[in-house]
Amino acid sequence: MKRPSKSAWLFLTLCLAPLAHGELHAPLKPEELTNGTQTLAPLANLQKQVAQNAALLLDKKGKAVATATWVGDEGYFITKASEVSRLEECSLQWGAGPAVKIREIRRDSRDDLVLAQAINVKGVRSVEFITAKDLDYGQWLVAPAKAAELKMGVFSAQKRPIKGYGAAIGVRMDDKTPAELKGVRIIGVAEDSPAASAGLQANDIMLELAGESVGEFRRVNEIISKKQPGEEIEVKFKRGDKEDHLYVRLASRSRVLSNWDGEDFANGGISIRTDNFAEVIQHDLPLNPADMGGPLLDLQGRAVGVNIARVDRVTTFALPSEIFWPKIQKWLEVDRHPPKALPAKSEKTEPTPEQPPQS
Amino acid sequence: MKNLFLPGLLWMVLHLPILAIAGEAPDAHFFTELQQQVQTLLPKVRPAVVAILTGDGTASGVIMSEDGLVLTAAHVAERPGRELQVILEDGSVISATTLGLDKTTDAAIMQLNEGNRKWPHVEVSRQVIQAQPGEWCFALGHPGGFDEQRGVVLRVGRIVKQTANSLQTDCVLMGGDSGGPLFNLKGEVIGIHSLIWEGRDENMHVSMAPFLRSWDDMKSSRVIRTWGIGSGGYLGISTDVNEKGELEVLDVFADSPSEKAGLKSGDLILALNGEAITGLPQFTQAVRIRAAGEEIKLRLRNLNAEREVTVKLGARPKEKG
Repeated sequence: MKRPSKSAWLFLTLCLAPLAHGELHAPLKPEELTNGTQTLAPLANLQKQVAQNAALLLDKKGKAVATATWVGDEGYFITKASEVSRLEECSLQWGAGPAVKIREIRRDSRDDLVLAQAINVKGVRSVEFITAKDLDYGQWLVAPAKAAELKMGVFSAQKRPIKGYGAAIGVRMDDKTPAELKGVRIIGVAEDSPAASAGLQANDIMLELAGESVGEFRRVNEIISKKQPGEEIEVKFKRGDKEDHLYVRLASRSRVLSNWDGEDFANGGISIRTDNFAEVIQHDLPLNPADMGGPLLDLQGRAVGVNIARVDRVTTFALPSEIFWPKIQKWLEVDRHPPKALPAKSEKTEPTPEQPPQS
Repeated sequence: MKNLFLPGLLWMVLHLPILAIAGEAPDAHFFTELQQQVQTLLPKVRPAVVAILTGDGTASGVIMSEDGLVLTAAHVAERPGRELQVILEDGSVISATTLGLDKTTDAAIMQLNEGNRKWPHVEVSRQVIQAQPGEWCFALGHPGGFDEQRGVVLRVGRIVKQTANSLQTDCVLMGGDSGGPLFNLKGEVIGIHSLIWEGRDENMHVSMAPFLRSWDDMKSSRVIRTWGIGSGGYLGISTDVNEKGELEVLDVFADSPSEKAGLKSGDLILALNGEAITGLPQFTQAVRIRAAGEEIKLRLRNLNAEREVTVKLGARPKEKG
């Protein structure tokens, strides 16, 4: 049986609709939203540029963990340090080619940035940093999501410092663990917390943290309070009769406590480290934690900062360029003069992908 | 703060047989013009945005008259006659008293208590129909609570959908924003932040319709629980959330679809067409998006017995006289 063609249906709809609901517009389609493809179509050139200014960083399992902002032609980039505690185990996605290896140059926990180089990558399009001092409420800002798609939003709150409240692991502990257990029993693990991501579970007994044995919950707090969000610690624990160990990457205490049950509706999750910044720009771009480390630009394509923390459903922080760019330029200078030899391991031939053991 | 919103609700798609917008994309210059409009309006409207301390959390509101009337959400005000603390942009704290509210649409008003002061205020849009999908708008509020260093938080976006009493935008909201204002590009209030679903473009605002319709009642500290004019399906009951957080039928109107279906006051409404009911705005929405004539299944509990009834939704009766 023949059906009316699609255009015939459309014609019918257009003819009949005004009679019934002439004044109402249809709900927006996804492409018509603020960050929809149709709305952003006029920014096609900028779209091309932001995709060239950034690259995706993948962990060794191939999961996107952060975004690199190109700062020097020879493959130099900066990114958010606390999302890539083992940067040299990560790889960088560069064009359609195979994943690129990385050399870490210098890490700065104060600003949560790391300078590194993508090995054997040449001719990248570095960002051009300008000061963020002139930004004001309501100014449009853009940034890459997944190091490829342009996202748009506004400068949405006053520039300010963000106080640090230290690190947390995200477990509730038994304050009366029987002495014969020789450890601290976990009675609850916060949703999406460092402990949960690492695989700790309720009823696990923590025996050792960062090489120090723990006999009661206060000791655990002491050890963690000396650490920074983003730092990785080894946890030895007992599950049932079996002893085991794993690595937990600590997160900002304020983030873990305010989001214990995952109630903040962050939609895509939040960053490991969300506080302790000298100054931040707050904006409303719809980004995800893996987009942090990428550039924040104005409508002219000039970078005003680097996205540094996805905080909650409405909040993303960026570091203004004047905070870090003078320092990064010095580090680049040092690394270029004289040019540093690439580490020996990167010279080796690529190991073949893991093969199942043959017999 | 999380209780200021009703999270976890399922999004229901509303299909209106209506005109698609002509797909015309703005040029790049359009964005700079839009930015200029928002930046010109901001200093004028920001001083009217307030934070509200509700006792168990924080919310937002906006002053809409020189004598200190504040628009906010009904789930912020909760009931008439409450005394709440309000924080102005400069950090000063003022006491305010809640007046009336419309529980079905989540609209409420309050009065600032310091008499002989002239308050910074904004205009309310009286052209509700003009807040159409595709219009640009901006949201202000205090997400997560008042923070003097941070100030009011701005979000710019577009209206995604308009219904009889609400607007949906892609201005992203969260706990603490409840009761805050949504502005059009004339700087007039077109919405009050009400609730969110999980998606980033699923932010709901009460439109000005319930405020304009029930202004005198709300100013006289009345609580409105019935459906508004212009709504879709009509059940003919009044409901409220009881102390245990369950939705309870308070009254069944004579000759209403609900009376015919055998609803009784005291029934607890558990689910509508299998979807668990977690609050009044969700229930209102679920009924209103359905057309008169449609049959719905309500799962009810009275004492310890659960039952399911089928109600054929009616049209809202015309006002008498």
